[in-house]
Amino acid sequence: MQEQKGSPSPSISTLSIVQMNDVSASYDSKNYVLKNVKMSITRGSNYAIVGQSGSGKSSLLKLINGMMNPSQGKILVDYKIPNISDKKFKSFMHKIGYIPQNLGLIKNSTVLENILIGALPRVSGLNSFFKKFSDLEIDNAKKILKLVGLQGKAERKVYMLSGGEKRRVAIARALVQKPDIILADEIVSELDHVTAREIMDVLAEAQATMKLTAIMVHHDLQLALEYADRVAVIKEGEKVLEIGVEGDKIVDFQSGNYTQREILEMFTNESEE
Amino acid sequence: MNQKNNLIIGLIIACVVVMSVNVDADPRDFAEGLPNIGIMLKEITEVDSSLFVTAFWSMLETIQIAFIGTVVGVAIALPLSLLAARNLNNKFVYVPVRALLAAIRTFPSILWAILFVIIVGLGPFAGVLAIIMYTVGFIAKLQYEAIEAVDADPMDAVGAIGVSKLQLIRFVVLPESASHLLSQILYIFDYNIRQTSILGLVGAGGIGFYIINYIKFFEYGKAAVFMLVVLATVLIIEWVSVRVRDKYIVKSQRGKQIKA
Repeated sequence: MQEQKGSPSPSISTLSIVQMNDVSASYDSKNYVLKNVKMSITRGSNYAIVGQSGSGKSSLLKLINGMMNPSQGKILVDYKIPNISDKKFKSFMHKIGYIPQNLGLIKNSTVLENILIGALPRVSGLNSFFKKFSDLEIDNAKKILKLVGLQGKAERKVYMLSGGEKRRVAIARALVQKPDIILADEIVSELDHVTAREIMDVLAEAQATMKLTAIMVHHDLQLALEYADRVAVIKEGEKVLEIGVEGDKIVDFQSGNYTQREILEMFTNESEE
Repeated sequence: MNQKNNLIIGLIIACVVVMSVNVDADPRDFAEGLPNIGIMLKEITEVDSSLFVTAFWSMLETIQIAFIGTVVGVAIALPLSLLAARNLNNKFVYVPVRALLAAIRTFPSILWAILFVIIVGLGPFAGVLAIIMYTVGFIAKLQYEAIEAVDADPMDAVGAIGVSKLQLIRFVVLPESASHLLSQILYIFDYNIRQTSILGLVGAGGIGFYIINYIKFFEYGKAAVFMLVVLATVLIIEWVSVRVRDKYIVKSQRGKQIKA
């Protein structure tokens, strides 16, 4: 299910697609949502970020796609500094498929219209005004609909779909972008157990066939360990732990300033929730 | 708390009384004039049915004025509303556009009609222009408010793909605010028919011209014919717009909100 690229040793920064050095971030100048986060995400890996609500994990994704800027430290995404108002980065943004927690779908549009939005950076202004897409783009979109299991539902309006189907649309829109990276913010947290695993399987398959780097934020540590090859745990804005996973085995274990006991306590708290 | 409420209600009533004296609104005049209603009602029942043909054609003219005015007005209002929305533009764009729209809304349609009668002369064209102006001011305001109320999530999600602003408008803003726009267009068309009916008062065409003239010459029976035709038209349009709403608006909002 998972792709393993390279050994999970820390000295492979040349292979990393996302590099964070002592990154801190805040919405106002007083309260930091992230403090001194160091992170190196290997190209092609399936990286999970786990933490409780309000731990700053959503902000991490927004830092990677440039919707938020760090107040301290440096981030490089494919050797570029993410910043939404920078023209150079803007032309790279379609390489990052971002699935926000509320999905951000256009409810009154059809499934096909929604996922073709992912192709817009490749369409000229005039053609996009008339919603004219090339046959190639439409074929590709339909292929991706099949990949996410929405074949036959292209003309459905999004407001008629179930919660699981809406998530498939959001995944498809991100995949139509032909991205290098997929960012997903708690994409399965509101779903039941079975549907959540169906959605995770769709993402895992897409990641493997399209050779993507997936960076996913989860609430559920168990789910993260099941699907990711590396899991980072965020607590109150700090990265307290990073684990490498191969199958059922933990292959690498790095903790920050926390003692083993504190980490154990943290896990029991997580699972109680 | 209760005493405070009583005080406020008492104050409001006192205001109404004082202001009534100021504007000479005396209920005794109304009581004295009541018998006049009887005379009017009696004359209204003496409907002159030979006038129905004229009434029909002048109503048709009114509908045409309202229709052209609504369509052209909406077409002008839509781009203006995109420029006036705070979530799409910086303040150097939206502040002047909003000021312009506020200025347009200052005049009621009858004043616009007088102005255009002076400019283009008597007749329906002045009425069309007046309705356009009123529609622009009204629809642009409601529409920029609808655009600002568009969910931030799809805007952020699609914005993060790196699309252009025009693409964002075409694929997020317009579809997400379309049902609001349709409901506003239906409302303003209905409203425009009713206000076009009185634009004839100042010579800007339509059925109002006949109504005001017959009333001026105390021919209430003839005026009644024209008013009946207006009433019938408004009822028909009301019926049509309810059906259109049910079909396109209620359905499309079902996914978003549940309204009784």
